[in-house]
Amino acid sequence: MGGRFTSPTALADALAATAAGHRPVAGGTDLVVGTRQGKWSLPEDLVALDRIEELRGIEETSGGLRIGATTSHADLAGHPAIRKRWTAIADAASIVGSPATRHIGTLGGNLANASPAAETSGPLLCFDAQVEVRSTAGSRRIALADLFNGPGRTTVRSDELIVAVELSELAGVGSSYVRLEFRRQMEIAVVGATAVVSLDGAIVIDARIAITALAPTVRRVAVAEFALVGTDGGPDAAAEAGRLAAEAATPISDVRASLEYRRAMAAVVVRRAVTGAIARARGETIPIPASASLFGAR
Amino acid sequence: MTATLAPTLIRQDGRDKVTGSGRYAADLTVTGMLHGAFRVAEVPHARIRRLDTTAARALPGVYAIITAADVPEVRYGAFLKDRTIFARDVVRWEGELIAAVAAATPEIAAQAAALIEVDLEPLLAVTDLETATRPDAPLVHAEWATYEADENLVRDGNLASRSTIVKGDADGGMADAYIVVKDRYVADGSHAVPIEPRAILAEWQGDHVTIWSSTQVPFAARSGVAETLGMPQNQVRVIVPHLGGGFGAKCELGFEPQVAALAQTAGRPVKVVFSRREEFLLPDHRRERMILELETGVRRDGTIVARRAHLIIDNGAYSMDEPFLGQMAAMFAVGPYRIPNVDVSADVVYTNTQPSGSVRAPTGPTTCWALEQHHDVVAERLGLDPVEFRRRNLVHEGDTGPTGQVFERIGALETLEHAAAAIGWGRPLPDGEAIGIATGWWPSFPGASGANVTINADGSGTIVTGAQECGTGAVMALPILAAEVLGMRPDEFRILYQDTDAGPYDGGASGSQTTFNNGRAVIAAATEVREQLLDLAADLLEANRADLELIDGMARVKGSQTSSVSIADLASQAAGAGLLLGRGSGEPPPTPAVETANCVGRLGAESFAAPTFFTHAAHVKVDRDTGVVRVLEIAASHESGVVINPIGATGQIYGGVAMGIGQALSEGVLLSEDGRQRNPYLLDYKLQTVADVPPIHVDFVDAPSPTGGPKGLKGIAEPPCVPTPGAIANAIVRAAGSRVRELPMTPERVWRALASTNGEN
Repeated sequence: MGGRFTSPTALADALAATAAGHRPVAGGTDLVVGTRQGKWSLPEDLVALDRIEELRGIEETSGGLRIGATTSHADLAGHPAIRKRWTAIADAASIVGSPATRHIGTLGGNLANASPAAETSGPLLCFDAQVEVRSTAGSRRIALADLFNGPGRTTVRSDELIVAVELSELAGVGSSYVRLEFRRQMEIAVVGATAVVSLDGAIVIDARIAITALAPTVRRVAVAEFALVGTDGGPDAAAEAGRLAAEAATPISDVRASLEYRRAMAAVVVRRAVTGAIARARGETIPIPASASLFGAR
Repeated sequence: MTATLAPTLIRQDGRDKVTGSGRYAADLTVTGMLHGAFRVAEVPHARIRRLDTTAARALPGVYAIITAADVPEVRYGAFLKDRTIFARDVVRWEGELIAAVAAATPEIAAQAAALIEVDLEPLLAVTDLETATRPDAPLVHAEWATYEADENLVRDGNLASRSTIVKGDADGGMADAYIVVKDRYVADGSHAVPIEPRAILAEWQGDHVTIWSSTQVPFAARSGVAETLGMPQNQVRVIVPHLGGGFGAKCELGFEPQVAALAQTAGRPVKVVFSRREEFLLPDHRRERMILELETGVRRDGTIVARRAHLIIDNGAYSMDEPFLGQMAAMFAVGPYRIPNVDVSADVVYTNTQPSGSVRAPTGPTTCWALEQHHDVVAERLGLDPVEFRRRNLVHEGDTGPTGQVFERIGALETLEHAAAAIGWGRPLPDGEAIGIATGWWPSFPGASGANVTINADGSGTIVTGAQECGTGAVMALPILAAEVLGMRPDEFRILYQDTDAGPYDGGASGSQTTFNNGRAVIAAATEVREQLLDLAADLLEANRADLELIDGMARVKGSQTSSVSIADLASQAAGAGLLLGRGSGEPPPTPAVETANCVGRLGAESFAAPTFFTHAAHVKVDRDTGVVRVLEIAASHESGVVINPIGATGQIYGGVAMGIGQALSEGVLLSEDGRQRNPYLLDYKLQTVADVPPIHVDFVDAPSPTGGPKGLKGIAEPPCVPTPGAIANAIVRAAGSRVRELPMTPERVWRALASTNGEN
């Protein structure tokens, strides 16, 4: 009641509204659903970002990709370069919510919501994504690793908008994102894992492993990455990485699962993510999304 | 399949619903309408020390607030009158209503509801089922003995209802058995989760009230309002706009009296629309929690000689139809098997949790899930194939049921053979995959029901029925029956339905009874019109009435191409004289005779009228590392007497299987220690999605029942969700080696079963 709603087409107007205290809304898949669920009240003043052309779209740059903040999950999941070279992002974006969620929900919104269960965060973290935020005062870049402060908290100031995510090319990597899924659509990560690997011949020379919904924020697990480097990435190495990641995880018990189950699943899901990433690095086909392709994999 | 009258019936309400032009209760607005909100207990058990509405009333925009003090003190309930429309002195579950507010906007109403000051003195809550049965357990209803109740109800303290089935000599049978197998199963409660959260709008004019409500049972809502508010039924009109599903949760009296009383006090129409969260927390119809202890004695050849069972069933804090459902569960614990010696008891017990009540095939899926797992355990112990074990024990025509009823023509065995064949029972499967099978039964519910059929001056037809369309298509299919009687096409009829002032009484979208009972009524009404048409045609054609037939929209002399008159012409003549009006009810078929001298708690379910039989086979894949189960394929074979509308019946099976998969794998109410729901929202109350539903092979076995509905049909709405969880459970064991004895069989439970057992069965 009495709230203001603006729906500008120019980014400058959106920045001005944000500076004036309007809360940004993109797809609304977190904001509106959370309101209905009683998590929070709908903000009095809203600025809608969906009509701002320059915030949407995926652009191939000399060194990699620039992804507009209001690019939908469906657009991410369907983009040829992402599917080929940043495959874990396509794995993640293609399993967010339902087809409806993926068409309306945005990458920037997913990051701003800062859920420890956010699908795209793990892959972006492993790909060293940089987040460009802007305010009326100017713009700055935040490494994804520095974006999250805790569950639902980011280092983006209230007068700033996330405008884009930038990725640089990592040559020759294979990657995958795997999530534990109780059903085939409308799922939320109870346990998720990302693996990004580079091979030299048969040997892993670089490994990045992130765990999702297993800590207050999505985070990388150095001990598991370290253990994987120098191995052949085979079943034993993948299982060891899984074991170490599970040990490093700090899961909770809640309505979705017990701590004990989550930790056990961390080992399984990390193992599968590594298996998927290694296979893709070798040029083998693991169809997107990897979660479904690796269902039941021992 | 025989008796197929309409292979491709187009639903009259389909276009309205898919285009959005149809109106549901929440869509309605009337002049001067206010918005209502409820204040609920939010604690499981407490004494109300003080209730102060002063601050809430002072909020601008608030028009009325009512509590128990503002309505007649009437206790109501179908079998046991233990509840009031607002809490009086004590609250007994978290969703119990304390007050209702009418305000200018939904937001003000919610704010005012929160401002009501309620001082509650906590009382010890009983939430655990076994604890509730102990003699020293705190009583959910201290004054239980003073409540008015059905004379056949067996009660004692927290025991709201006990039903037993005793036949032969179970002790002797067990003593003679080659082996005796005993095990135990535990099931969580679950929800119906209709897509439409309910809405109720009440408007008074003078001394009569019109209530638009998303109810499955408008006549029960009408009589309930009349009973609780102390008014004659003819001053209460209940209209149901399109209904967005119910699955049992919108059966019995809902929230109509509270909204009607609120509107009366406010002097303005009031509408209440539930949020999804409220739809989880406030209704008094969730599927019952159960503990099932089963014991079976078998001969070496696999013949069952004795069954003992003890069931504990959660009644919740108040009694809706659950006391009756205990007897249903007892019947299901015997199952459609030849068992000479039976000793089964079912105790329905009070707890300080949400009341249980009919949700699609109440107690059926849970009991079948436990019993059919138990039967596989028995077969395994005997080294018998599960299909062969059932083949040796299923009931045939001429056999007697648990209470001595003699079965007429039935097709239980055929459903077993057809489902096994359709799924490819015994075929080799990849590692981690397996097939399981489960058989069950379900009664039909004969009852009173009425309809009127008229032919208008232009020859078009109108059916006015009291039956309720809850989405199943049962009401939409009624024109098939009228059209056949009158030689017309189904699409020549319009249906006026779900308005208690328009149509005659019907039991509502409940008990799979619409086609069974209202189909009979429509045929009776159409038959009256048929007689009127034949009289007119005989005069006009100067023919012998007995030589006439109604066919292709005409009355004609049988076999003649020339001597005929169109029904439209007859209708046009009738419009100036004796109108074409038919009314019908018909006589409900009798229920089978039973022998129940040794049984207690006889509430009507001891006799299964026109029982339907069915078998599902499930092909699953188990992810052994995570416990996640995917259902890859279901074969569903149903003997439902006959099928008159294959699209509708097949749709019921698709929906029932999908619901059954959810009950099997993901749908369960998580309760906190003090009995409050922990997952009353769709993110964590996990329904199956369309992506999870596998190919379903549907098969119908014909066995027209002499005591069935029209053409010998039986109910079809509830049965399809009954055997699915059991079939999936038995497939999980065969795929992964461990039996899961908790429902739902969530990934974590499957994983724990796999981790804690080494192929234990």
